[in-house]
Amino acid sequence: MKFRREPGSRRYFVDHLVGATLAVSYLIILVKTARAIGYARDEGFYFRAASSYAAWFEHLFRDPAGAMQRATVEMYWSNNHEHPGLVKSLFGLSWNYLFKRWHLFADEGTSYRFGGMCFAAAGLWLVYVWGARARSRAVGLVAALLFAAMPRVFYHAHLDCFDVPIAVMWTLCAYCYWRSLENLGLGWAVTTGVMFGLALDTKLNAWFLPPALVLHALLARGGFIWRGLKRGQLRVPPALIGMAAIGPLVCFALWPWIWFDTVDRVKGYAQFHLNHDYYNMVFLGETYWRPPMPRAYVWVMTAATVPAVTLLLFFIGAASRVRAMLALVSSRMAARVKDYDPRGTDLLWAIGLSVQYAPWVFSTNIPIFGGTKHWFTAYPFLCLFAGVGFEWIAERVRSLIEGGVLARLPARAIDVALGAAVLAAPLAETAHAHPWGLSNYTPLVGGASGGATLGLNRQFWGFTTGAVTDWLNQHVSPGQAVYIHDTAGESWDMLHRDGRLLPNIGAAWSIPGSAFALYQHEEHMETIEYQIWAAYGTSSPVHIGAYDGVPIIYVYAKPGQMIR
Amino acid sequence: MTDGPALAREHSLPQRAGRARYLALLVPLFGLVELVAHFYFAQRAPKSEEWTAARPLIASWYKAGAVVVIAPYWAEPMARLAFGDELMPMRDVARPDVTRYPEALEISILGRRAPELEGWKVGREERKGKFTLRALENPSPINVTYDFTDHVGPSTAAVRIEKRSTPVDCAFNPSATLESGGLGGTPVYPSARFQCPGEAAHVFVGVTIIDDEKSHPRRCIWSHPPGNDAELVTRFRDVPLGSKIHGHAGLGWLIERDRTVPPFTITVLVAEHEVGRVVHLPGDFWKPFEFSLAGAALRPTADVEFRVSAAGGGTHVCFEADSR
Repeated sequence: MKFRREPGSRRYFVDHLVGATLAVSYLIILVKTARAIGYARDEGFYFRAASSYAAWFEHLFRDPAGAMQRATVEMYWSNNHEHPGLVKSLFGLSWNYLFKRWHLFADEGTSYRFGGMCFAAAGLWLVYVWGARARSRAVGLVAALLFAAMPRVFYHAHLDCFDVPIAVMWTLCAYCYWRSLENLGLGWAVTTGVMFGLALDTKLNAWFLPPALVLHALLARGGFIWRGLKRGQLRVPPALIGMAAIGPLVCFALWPWIWFDTVDRVKGYAQFHLNHDYYNMVFLGETYWRPPMPRAYVWVMTAATVPAVTLLLFFIGAASRVRAMLALVSSRMAARVKDYDPRGTDLLWAIGLSVQYAPWVFSTNIPIFGGTKHWFTAYPFLCLFAGVGFEWIAERVRSLIEGGVLARLPARAIDVALGAAVLAAPLAETAHAHPWGLSNYTPLVGGASGGATLGLNRQFWGFTTGAVTDWLNQHVSPGQAVYIHDTAGESWDMLHRDGRLLPNIGAAWSIPGSAFALYQHEEHMETIEYQIWAAYGTSSPVHIGAYDGVPIIYVYAKPGQMIR
Repeated sequence: MTDGPALAREHSLPQRAGRARYLALLVPLFGLVELVAHFYFAQRAPKSEEWTAARPLIASWYKAGAVVVIAPYWAEPMARLAFGDELMPMRDVARPDVTRYPEALEISILGRRAPELEGWKVGREERKGKFTLRALENPSPINVTYDFTDHVGPSTAAVRIEKRSTPVDCAFNPSATLESGGLGGTPVYPSARFQCPGEAAHVFVGVTIIDDEKSHPRRCIWSHPPGNDAELVTRFRDVPLGSKIHGHAGLGWLIERDRTVPPFTITVLVAEHEVGRVVHLPGDFWKPFEFSLAGAALRPTADVEFRVSAAGGGTHVCFEADSR
């Protein structure tokens, strides 16, 4: 790869313009499509936490000194303190200002989610800019669109959760580090440190950033660092120093919960995640709830949920870069100097991707209950390589066409046609996956029905209640209560607050106390469905929310109850 | 769209000979194939309306006493929604196994077959849209003379606890409080059940449904013994006997999967004579048992007792049985 010299601010302006256009477009799509997705279990918990944090910010603006007091901080920030505060703060501020004060959102739930959506939108911008700067605009554009058109990413991009935000923050921190390598001034080093702090305050995946970037520094600049050490000079990339010096401070400053009893609370945070419960997850027909977890899980689930053409482009892109690097190694010194990439871009992307998969590769003790979301942080890098793969293919197709009847076609037309060919399936799959998200599987495993036949998970978090609200509104009579199964109370409540559920449809917390019962299918929860049967005296549901013919959420009615 | 000149410099493409040059075209082709495959698979499984439309045909094939089996199993809820309790009653859906049925009606989609019907003889087969209907005959049909799970009631059964030979009768309550344990909890305590005085609520005899190791439903007789080797005895009166007692016992996969539950024993007596004993160890899950009645089968009817016991504080027990 050639090390590109700074070609001028105009080019960068255009790059950011394209990135911003992608981001705004994606954000509009996310906002417009959010209402169709029911509220996931964890979203409900974060609604409550975000509201509490937003109230603290109100307190802070009203009474700064009082807000800093331990009792005040604990009153507002003890809620959901097992996760850092940054993203939930943004959810809360978005709700407080965009919904409550400025009435920019019709749905309260969407106003919370908007914070998460902004991260997803920024992720597209970031992937585009990185691809464009490191490679070409085609690489950036295809990479960003492939990232947007991952069905699972699209689903999670809507939520007030941390998985897409940390994927973006992780990539952003790596990008800042990469920028710092081209410019050894303090600006990018400080920025990297700040971004690392924000990533730390987003989700625990940020803990993997230091080892990943240190590894990159050692592999890409080991000789330079070693020669420096021999001369008594510390040639560590300044960004790494920035991360060590600034990152923890930023995290500390933005997470009031750890202002007091800092060591104990940080330790408690770490312990919570290091000793996390093993929730149930089905894989190939077997439910896993304790180690050892299946080693094939990450690979099969990646293959089954990421569009196959994206994966193919990734393999082509990665292979082309390996080939180029091998060619560089075997080339003469003059060529090496000419093609030398001091930033080790390929290596950084490869590490950025590998580090996310490593826990499941090296250990069978890592929980798998999150489905694919736990390695979302790999996907921006996977897509960047896929963008490289696209470029590699495009070059070869153009060379094929040279001299043929299509030779008069402009190169851009060929690129557009190729882009359409490789993006069509991911875009169609992503659009079709909405609002079922987690129930979607790619054609590689036969789609949703193929996934069901293979015994892959159809959903978790009870969010598919959103798919049956219209039915409930039509058929449940005033005063009748619905057993809401895996849907969190706060998530159900938000459906009311959004007006998606009629106000007189109540939640029942036990099956015997209900007139209707929801069952969101997960293998290990079948016992709930059988309890509904035994309590109601029937095994026939009255309605099913199905995706591509696969039953996802079932509604049962107690016989004798009036159904409208 | 691309930064063409720079790329052209970066990659000097060697002239490739022959067909290998065209391999690059496979990638966009692959993308288009995936697109077509996506639309194909999205339409492949029948939708709810198609299941409903298939109901009249299924009903015309259905014979009383046959069981409707859906392949693949995950599609069964769609069938239950469309066909209702008339074609798929809970008793059949939560069946102990298929051996009791002389015939089965297999509704197959996506080219799948029901593993539990392997070896059954296909008597009739028809394809209709996305469905394949098969009428199958049991290669080893049996005659069930008595299903104990169907007779848990005061007119046919009596329940007692025996502690050191002291019997305590458990009265039948047709309208006890319905209870359900939720995820990880006990199955439903039905409102119609034999309740034992002085014992915890879970010490009762009544019909409920548990999950087996494949998360399939199993309708069975809850019979939680009180522990300390006391026996929870269910006595069925005047049972028409066949040549064997066939059944299953378990306590629910979700409860048993950690294998930390104590073992339990079910002793089966026919006309006061022990004909067999089930010892259920942690991890046995939904385990079948079968006892020959030998001499007892010479009687046309007899009283049959299931004596359930467990050490310590007792354990969840759910069993089903028939005489055949």
